[in-house]
Amino acid sequence: MSTVDVARTSLVIFFVLVVQHSLLDAVRLSGAHPDAVLLMAAAAGYVGGPERGATVGFFTGLAADLLLPTTFGLTALVGCLVAYAVGTATSGLVRDSRPLAVLALTAGTVAGLVGYAVLEAVLGLAGAISVDLAPALVVATPAAAILALPVLWLVRWSVPPMVPPAAAAHPGGLGR
Amino acid sequence: MARSRRSRRSRRPRLTIVLLVLASITIITLDYRGDLRGTISGLRRVAHDAFSPVQNAVGDVVHPIGSFLAGAVHAGSIEQQNAKLRAENARLRRQSLAAGAQAGTLHTLQQLESLPWAAAVPSLSSIRTVAAEVVALNSSDFADTVQLDVGRNLGVDVGMPVVAGNGLVGRVIDAWSSGCTVRLVTDPGSSVGVRYGQPPGYALVDGSGVGRALAVHYIAPGTALTKGEILTTSGLQDALFPPDVPLARITSYSSTPSSTEESVTAEPLADLAALQYVDVMLWEPGT
Repeated sequence: MSTVDVARTSLVIFFVLVVQHSLLDAVRLSGAHPDAVLLMAAAAGYVGGPERGATVGFFTGLAADLLLPTTFGLTALVGCLVAYAVGTATSGLVRDSRPLAVLALTAGTVAGLVGYAVLEAVLGLAGAISVDLAPALVVATPAAAILALPVLWLVRWSVPPMVPPAAAAHPGGLGR
Repeated sequence: MARSRRSRRSRRPRLTIVLLVLASITIITLDYRGDLRGTISGLRRVAHDAFSPVQNAVGDVVHPIGSFLAGAVHAGSIEQQNAKLRAENARLRRQSLAAGAQAGTLHTLQQLESLPWAAAVPSLSSIRTVAAEVVALNSSDFADTVQLDVGRNLGVDVGMPVVAGNGLVGRVIDAWSSGCTVRLVTDPGSSVGVRYGQPPGYALVDGSGVGRALAVHYIAPGTALTKGEILTTSGLQDALFPPDVPLARITSYSSTPSSTEESVTAEPLADLAALQYVDVMLWEPGT
């Protein structure tokens, strides 16, 4: 990633955090609210592929952890895993499909929330799965589907797209 | 040659993710063990100090949008509330309350100014307090917290108890120059040592999540309890809260012949669902 890409990505991470804490935190049902941070990590994996996505997901999560009252590093771990999983799962697929993008990003967000709850439970917060997870999924799933395309647009502006495996294997072009 | 380049390229994402996962696990472990607590809380303070002004400015602009979205999410319950409010409104008109909502706020603030229960307890009446307003609710789906508009500038620090008119609200877990985060007593990570009955018995009250009853542990089966009995903080040596702060009211208790403890639930005395103004007690554990 070039310096410009890093600057753009930092700007997008900052913007996503501002939207999360100023707007989305107010949309609350049973204590749960939409999650733009995991959505951003999933979008980074979708656009940048597993490697770039995981790096962006990690730093997005780390920045989010600075503002959260939960264990430091947890969102970074979940963010990089979500981005890596989404990047790997969609690496051979056509990326122009909007429904596919919405599906991949929503699935990534849901998987991230489940992973987050499991890790919280492992760290001793038993209620994370039995109490907090269900409302979090009920709110975050439709919200992720709604926010997927705007977040994807932002991430496409900042994260360089993944080089398709075929093009990477034949840098001179497939025709040669 | 091409195959080995391809294989190296396909191994690179795996190496990256392994490194990132290891880095995350290291950070989590250090935070969990408390080895990096000072550094992390310093970083969080700097981040909050830098982020809060932007968050507040943007929040002022987008608050109506947030309220609209929040309203859309609660459309069903808002309709019911509307009906109730219309009836309430008619009643209020009949009574011709001159002061209206401002009187309610004034009453809340007056309660905070001279906490009725604090005045009766000598050990509490000497503790200075700072009045604060709740400016944001929990920022994580997995933690029950609120953000206040007072911070280190006014002497607020990590570990200080937060109370409302009726009793204990929670404890400051993070503080920066102009704000702080409070873990509510209903948070699953919250544990408060309490005292009940006469002669006094001691128990532990754990949070069970937003809107759920508090779980009271370590009360022996068959202990004489009464519904509505008030649990106050125990203030035992090295306690996280000063003694005699009212916390909760017992709502149910039961036990079976084979149980090792009484199954007791309680509800917080403070109305945590409608927190607006609170007091931070300038008291630190161990003082």
